[in-house]
Amino acid sequence: MTETKIFETAAEANAFLDSLGGYVEPKAVTPLKGESAHEVAVGPVHAGVIEPGHFRFQCMGEDVYNLQIFLGYQHRGVEDAIAAADGNRSRQIALAETCAGDTSIAAATCFAEICETRDGKHPTDEDLRLRELLLELERVANHVGDLGALAGDVAFLPTASFCGRIRGEYLNMTALLCGNRFGRNAVVPGGMRVALTDEKKAKLAEWISRVRKDLDGALRLMFEEPTVLERLEGTGVVPKETAEEIGLVGVARRASAELQGDVLSRALVRRMEIDEAHARIASLLGDAASCRVTAITAPHTGDAASCRVTAITATHPGDAASSRVTTITAPHPGDAASCRVTTITATRHGDAASCRVTTIVVTVNAWRGPLVHAALFDPDGKLLRYKIVDPSAHNWQGLAYALRGEQISNFPICNKSFNLSYCGTDR
Amino acid sequence: MLKALFERLRQGFKTGAFPPAAPNLPPDFRGRPEIDSDITAEDVERAQSVCPVVGALSRDVEGAKLDMGRCIFCGRCAEVCGKIRFTKEYRLGVFRREDLVVKSGEHGYEPPKQTDPAALSLKRSLQLREVSAGGCAACELDANVLGTLAWDMGRFGIRFVASPRHADAIYVTGPVSKNMQLALDKTFAAAPEPKFLIAAGACAISGGLYERGNLPATPVLYIPGCPPHPATTLEALLRFTGSL
Repeated sequence: MTETKIFETAAEANAFLDSLGGYVEPKAVTPLKGESAHEVAVGPVHAGVIEPGHFRFQCMGEDVYNLQIFLGYQHRGVEDAIAAADGNRSRQIALAETCAGDTSIAAATCFAEICETRDGKHPTDEDLRLRELLLELERVANHVGDLGALAGDVAFLPTASFCGRIRGEYLNMTALLCGNRFGRNAVVPGGMRVALTDEKKAKLAEWISRVRKDLDGALRLMFEEPTVLERLEGTGVVPKETAEEIGLVGVARRASAELQGDVLSRALVRRMEIDEAHARIASLLGDAASCRVTAITAPHTGDAASCRVTAITATHPGDAASSRVTTITAPHPGDAASCRVTTITATRHGDAASCRVTTIVVTVNAWRGPLVHAALFDPDGKLLRYKIVDPSAHNWQGLAYALRGEQISNFPICNKSFNLSYCGTDR
Repeated sequence: MLKALFERLRQGFKTGAFPPAAPNLPPDFRGRPEIDSDITAEDVERAQSVCPVVGALSRDVEGAKLDMGRCIFCGRCAEVCGKIRFTKEYRLGVFRREDLVVKSGEHGYEPPKQTDPAALSLKRSLQLREVSAGGCAACELDANVLGTLAWDMGRFGIRFVASPRHADAIYVTGPVSKNMQLALDKTFAAAPEPKFLIAAGACAISGGLYERGNLPATPVLYIPGCPPHPATTLEALLRFTGSL
């Protein structure tokens, strides 16, 4: 499944980037009318220590007929700020890292790979190994935290308490490698600012094997507990066809494609990804020769459809006839290595030097799903536009769908099973 | 039930010894910066050229200044300029904005002590209402962490509460985006008197990498960092109420 888009002008390429979705102004709701119709409004300030967003539960009697989600409260102009900071890469990467705090490492990786593709300067295998290690730790930390929160929401406190603490252990492992619990300020274009020393490797391997036992114990309790399973199973179902139709990505897509698409499926997918990430970490910590860094950016499913942006082509602005498309790389299902960086350069008469507008699209397999960063450069290498598509942007509709026909009381577990990023969507 | 008990016994008691014991910080932790008194104008310029934040590092007749209220503690300036160092000092919380500015030649830092009787009266119970206002959620996540059993902030009587009506202080994170301005103002207004405002993270203090909206009041506690380490936050809250 390859999608190729050819644009005649930079304006069209821009319009396509716009169509990828993102910032939505909070706006008025369509009212629901009827005898048993009522609405429950929540937010933007929520009861927990979480990000702002406004939810409008439109109910018919006890059941939610429709959930309207209003975002945009977190909009602070990350993309424009990155474009405006052209020439100051330390500022640009710091801005990218603060697009969504829980996805800092994936975002920094995206930005770095765009610069590396642009400059033709690639990091060493050792640097890539550390980058991927951080990325997998980020994945585990977030999945562990979400599974704990899910247990907490169905009042199963042992796992909630254990996982809250264990998530912190993974953040501290990240801090061991680079000094920051969220992996900030470690990735830079062309490499890493810190080295993965043998001492750190040994310490991490020992630490992770110790914590892994606690984590397995905590998760086993939750997934063997009938009262937990009873609450999660069959709740918030997004069928496979619907998931495809509304274009879900990442964990949610996988839960619908491989399992039943309910809250339990999304929890199980996270547990599977925790196992996969640990296997990956073990091989990254192993012998250098036995490990090749490839999987960093492939969508976990090996399913091209779960990776939304495939190819964007910008051609010589204003002069369509003289430009010819040369390179289009699309993610290839199942082949991790081929789903890395997509560079599309339009050249004139096959002559690379005369190329005008270059669009570089990088997809990184972040913990929620494919995170896409795209940059539009002019012939002098000036950054014209920067675009970020968080996997959450595709999945909010899935959350709204999951709640249809459910009671409002099921919202917290549906929400936690997705755990979408407000700031990543709003940017 | 039995399985849960066995697992609890197997995992053991996991709440950290901090405080009063020193927190377990990572080896590459970057805390309060230090600037040598002989830093030159060229040194400052070189450091500024790699600084991601506008206005974090400056220089005037008194020497060089690093504003921890803007700094994201990336350490890039220290990488290019040997006159700037990031120490392991994690006690970064202060009660006045100007105390966040580190000047060249300052050594032997001692964090400020609380003297305000209104804050001291909250020593055994401090209820916070968190408002996330346009940030990246890292500050929120590391504030949440304090509620887990690893830090167990509740043992000091500090809690995040669900309503501003129950709060002694509003704890703001994020650069106060345009769309969150009204919600933040209303939340602060909804808290009963006497009330305090706490600004956590570079964004809430100064905007950090972004431009900040308006805070509804002058904060009485500033917790710098991007995001602040949980040890920094917990120590600052305890010192704010005079518990440390």
